[in-house]
Amino acid sequence: MSTAEGYSRPIPLLAIVLVALAVHGPLLLMQLPAGSFDTNFHIFFASHYVHHWFDPWNEKWFAGFSQTTYPPLTHQWIALLSNVVGLKMGYMLVQLIAVLLLPVGVFRFARIWVDERAASYAALGSVFLGALAFLVYQAGQLATVASAALYLNALPYFYEWMTEASGRSLIKGIAISWTAAAAHHVTLIFGLVLFAGPVLWVACIDARDERVAASTTGALSRAIVFAIVVGLGVGAVLGPYWLSILQHPIHQVPIPHDSRANLLLNSITAVNYFVIPYGALILALPFILMRGASLRRLRPLLLGFWLTFIFGLGGTTPLPRWLLGRAYEILTFERFTFWATLMAMPIVGLLAADLLDRFRAKAAVGLSLAAVMTIGAALTWLTANPYRPAGSVNVDSVVAFLNRDGHDTYRYLTLGFGSELAKVSTYTNATSVDGDYNSARLLPEMTHYGAAQLTNAKFYGSAGMGALRGMLDHANRYGLKYIFVHDAYYEPLLTFVGWRKVDTFNNGEITAWSKDDVPPAHKIVSDAVPPAWQGLLWGTLPIGVSLLALFLELFLPGGRRMPVPVEISAPAEEHYVA
Amino acid sequence: MTLAQDPHLPTSAVAGDETTISTSGNGQAILYLVGPGVASKREISLGEDIHLPSRELQNAGRYVVSVCSDACRSGSFYVAAAEPASLTFLVHPSRVPVGLSDAISGVALPFDPFHNLVRVPMAITFQLTSGKTAMMSRSVQTQDGVAWFRTSSGKDAGVLHVVAAVDELSARRAVQQVASEPCNLRIKGQRTPKAILVETEPVRDCSGNPVPDGTIVTFTAAEADGKSTVDAPIKQGVARAQIIVTKAAVISAASGVVMGNELRLGAQP
Amino acid sequence: MRFALPILLVAVTVGLIAAALFGVGQAGGTVGIAAGSALPGLTPNAGTPEQALANLFTDLQRRNWNRAFAALSKTSGVDEPSFIQDWAGANGSLRTFSNLEGYDSRPLHATSDDAQVRVRLHWATPVGPVEDVRDFHLTHEGDGWKVVWPKVEAPTVPAQVVPVTYLRWDLISGGAEDGWGSRNVDSPHVRIISMNAVESAEGSVVMGEVVNEDTIPAFVNVNAALVDGSGNAIDDESSFDKIAHVLLPKQVSPYRIDFPNINLKNVKNVRMDVKATLVPASADPVIGVMDQKLDPDVQGKSVLHGELLNQSGQTVNIPHVIASFYDSNGKVVWVADGYVDRSLLPQTSEPFAVEIPRTLAGKVQTFHVVVNQYSLGKS
Repeated sequence: MSTAEGYSRPIPLLAIVLVALAVHGPLLLMQLPAGSFDTNFHIFFASHYVHHWFDPWNEKWFAGFSQTTYPPLTHQWIALLSNVVGLKMGYMLVQLIAVLLLPVGVFRFARIWVDERAASYAALGSVFLGALAFLVYQAGQLATVASAALYLNALPYFYEWMTEASGRSLIKGIAISWTAAAAHHVTLIFGLVLFAGPVLWVACIDARDERVAASTTGALSRAIVFAIVVGLGVGAVLGPYWLSILQHPIHQVPIPHDSRANLLLNSITAVNYFVIPYGALILALPFILMRGASLRRLRPLLLGFWLTFIFGLGGTTPLPRWLLGRAYEILTFERFTFWATLMAMPIVGLLAADLLDRFRAKAAVGLSLAAVMTIGAALTWLTANPYRPAGSVNVDSVVAFLNRDGHDTYRYLTLGFGSELAKVSTYTNATSVDGDYNSARLLPEMTHYGAAQLTNAKFYGSAGMGALRGMLDHANRYGLKYIFVHDAYYEPLLTFVGWRKVDTFNNGEITAWSKDDVPPAHKIVSDAVPPAWQGLLWGTLPIGVSLLALFLELFLPGGRRMPVPVEISAPAEEHYVA
Repeated sequence: MTLAQDPHLPTSAVAGDETTISTSGNGQAILYLVGPGVASKREISLGEDIHLPSRELQNAGRYVVSVCSDACRSGSFYVAAAEPASLTFLVHPSRVPVGLSDAISGVALPFDPFHNLVRVPMAITFQLTSGKTAMMSRSVQTQDGVAWFRTSSGKDAGVLHVVAAVDELSARRAVQQVASEPCNLRIKGQRTPKAILVETEPVRDCSGNPVPDGTIVTFTAAEADGKSTVDAPIKQGVARAQIIVTKAAVISAASGVVMGNELRLGAQP
Repeated sequence: MRFALPILLVAVTVGLIAAALFGVGQAGGTVGIAAGSALPGLTPNAGTPEQALANLFTDLQRRNWNRAFAALSKTSGVDEPSFIQDWAGANGSLRTFSNLEGYDSRPLHATSDDAQVRVRLHWATPVGPVEDVRDFHLTHEGDGWKVVWPKVEAPTVPAQVVPVTYLRWDLISGGAEDGWGSRNVDSPHVRIISMNAVESAEGSVVMGEVVNEDTIPAFVNVNAALVDGSGNAIDDESSFDKIAHVLLPKQVSPYRIDFPNINLKNVKNVRMDVKATLVPASADPVIGVMDQKLDPDVQGKSVLHGELLNQSGQTVNIPHVIASFYDSNGKVVWVADGYVDRSLLPQTSEPFAVEIPRTLAGKVQTFHVVVNQYSLGKS
């Protein structure tokens, strides 16, 4: 094979997966995401499933909450793997699987729009996405990444079912869609519009242009069948989730999040939520626009990308607020940026193909540098970001304190621990009034204020400190006797409201505070406790559909015959070299 | 295999002492012993004496013995506490102002080596000593194992030693007698370049005991259009504070319910 | 379509961004402590006194000190370090822990060259929201308005030796192996000396005074439960930070217990419960309350104000003033508190002010002020 041929052939998918393994495998085995915002949260949820697989009621946070408020699939897989490799490594392995599934999904998704060569470039590029590194290593959004990867793998089956009426594709597409929903509900809900919408549109275009055998009506009717079956299945698989959200709709005061800020008014936020996730893709934006608009088949994808891109800008435009209404205040928008980069990849694959055709080795070097610099910048940002998670706190002494001398008969609170709160909760027997999952909070002291975790109260200003004051005021009611402080900011408040320092840990890095007249904690009566049948469903259906999808993918082979889009090569004068 | 009569039980037994039960008849039987904190079962030969070891009789109280062969026969006996081996002594309060009537009380309870309350009446001597002065010595007979006293606090602040004794045993407790409310609070003032330095004379209660350091004395300087206050703790018997006064003012002091004298100051030139 | 669609998408994007920048739909707020700055060209011009103040406060919120200082008038009497210290506080004071969360401004007077603006600053602090009213003078310089920052009079403490008779109580607790009968030291004897329940704008309030009658320090918490006509508890709350928790012997503290949204008409009985425990404590520092007066402030509100004088040799980082107000019969009719946002250096004084409700101003005959404090590393 000549060098010229090498530049014009698709990259084998296995090679791309191996590249993903080579890039992300060591980082995950080094447990780089351990310091991310949400990793400890996911491990905490998983630790509950280790001990109570069929009982989603968890007493350790918020004086009791239901884990049916968050789709369980990734946590249950961590719980299963933890029996062999422990919780933390279990998390890393599940995250690695999601990361390896992503380029496969991008390749398959891209094949709907572009040829195999461009799709392979898209898949390879997705390994180096800044948004992926941001979500995996900084945000720790395991479920979002896993669900997006699964969803991208489901969409080609959806397309095949619409255009070829393939029963196998229907079954596989449905099973993978259910699995994606079991991993993360938000991805599924928005994916319906942002990802599946363009796929449906392009299927109709292909049907109308007779590029596929199906008629437009046939494609539409099969899409409806697909949607109904997926909808019913998701309703069942996540049944306890829907029931809990119906019983306790999220009425809490909106919690500010930086992804909703106007990026133009804050340079650091702009870097965090735009420059880092997009990286070198920013340079490709003009090409994405021009090429996406120039090819009729790519226009649905371009419009989907644009809408997702606008959503990813958060409060920089009013569109998300207008379209989402109250949900705008509940959602965070960095995930939209991630999805936007995924949707851009097929067109970026075309750009890569064009550049390689024209500049060969120079283009290869340039593209490689762009990819490496994008992921490199995202990894560098882990330490350069002023909003990065607080440095890891050694919480072993706190855990040991709570687990001895009957201290776990009382509730506790941490202040200034950031995401390490979930780590304390994972390994102690004691229960807390705080927690790191906003949607599960029902205690009025927390829902009446626009603040998230009490441990991070100061970052939410008066609302955060108001929530903390409310909780401290009712310490006796909740049996809240111990507070662990890792930030001297909170000490004046504790002093003035009647708490006393009783111990110090880690050479004074953490101080323990106590209040003398607090009675032992008692169970807080809640109507949110799921009945046993819901626990049974929760423990069987999500993991069951994932096993079903795995089984079908392995044992129900079916070749995909993606349409090779016509006129994918732009005229020579339309090369866009960034 | 017959059990001719009820088992012959001891008329009196003492906790921790061995004792013997005799039975009549012949053949094998089962003996059940049930007492406070004890339940045992063993096979015995009827007609022989049954030896009950001391470890089964350590708790005072009523024990029931049943001997069963073809029929069961039962009886009971009482195990009394042994000689006192320790004295539990509760004294209340741990801190008391001087000159308060019926302010101090104590309760003594004799226990044998097996922690049984000794209910046999016995004389317990309570002695209260303040410094080298004996304040009270009283012998009190226990009733159902309890002896108690109540008395007034002394006139001098300091440690009051309270001893309860029976035979060779004794238990010692300490009560801190503290000064009562301040009495005759007197203040004096001195002008400094910046303020008036006011201080009390040594603060004592009506019995002449120095009021404990740390007790708050509130100094107040009342002017025509406002006032200044300082809550100052007594240190080494005296409380002192600086008060900034620019106009004519009346300075007074108070601690608890006691008011002191007043200082009248003219306007500062 | 090849060119029309990209142009359309770019145009719509720019339009949406402009809509957000100019207030349509209002972008969401950011998390508490902000950093960074707006992209160049997006900071509004200080064409009005209010806009000049807004720009200044935005920079101060984000701790862009250089930009903020550059926005001051040349006639300001401060250098940059003094300006930063004036705004951000020093010596571990409450201000050093605080962040400006918002403000309301009201012009007092304006000409073409200068203006006076009264600003109510809303601070987020560790002890809750704190408000501060401040008047700003602005002048028109060049093409915009600039804030004239007044000269900062930072308290200076001359080098000196302050003799201290150090007095504190340590506590040795009995071990778990101690036998029955050899008990620990008794809890301090503390008594509620007055209690009054009133209706307030926010709900019901139970207040009064509590005294430590013992000869050792006491750590005190006052709790109250409201009971309705059927004997059922309506709500129970505690004195929280409206009390001095550590009381030295014979010390009296006001307490106030708030019951938000509870109508006093539904309350039949109030169950009071005072809990006192023995704690290690120190008799220092001594803080005098000088020149206490009850006067209306510039806004016409009735305010008790005065000066706190630190009579010790240690810095008091956060002073807290709690005052009880009495009517002509000596009954406690209100308890109010306030935090001082400047630290009290040794032998120096700082002003304080505590507001009382307008409706009670006429009833108040006298008052009693207690000073509570937080000192870094000494809690």
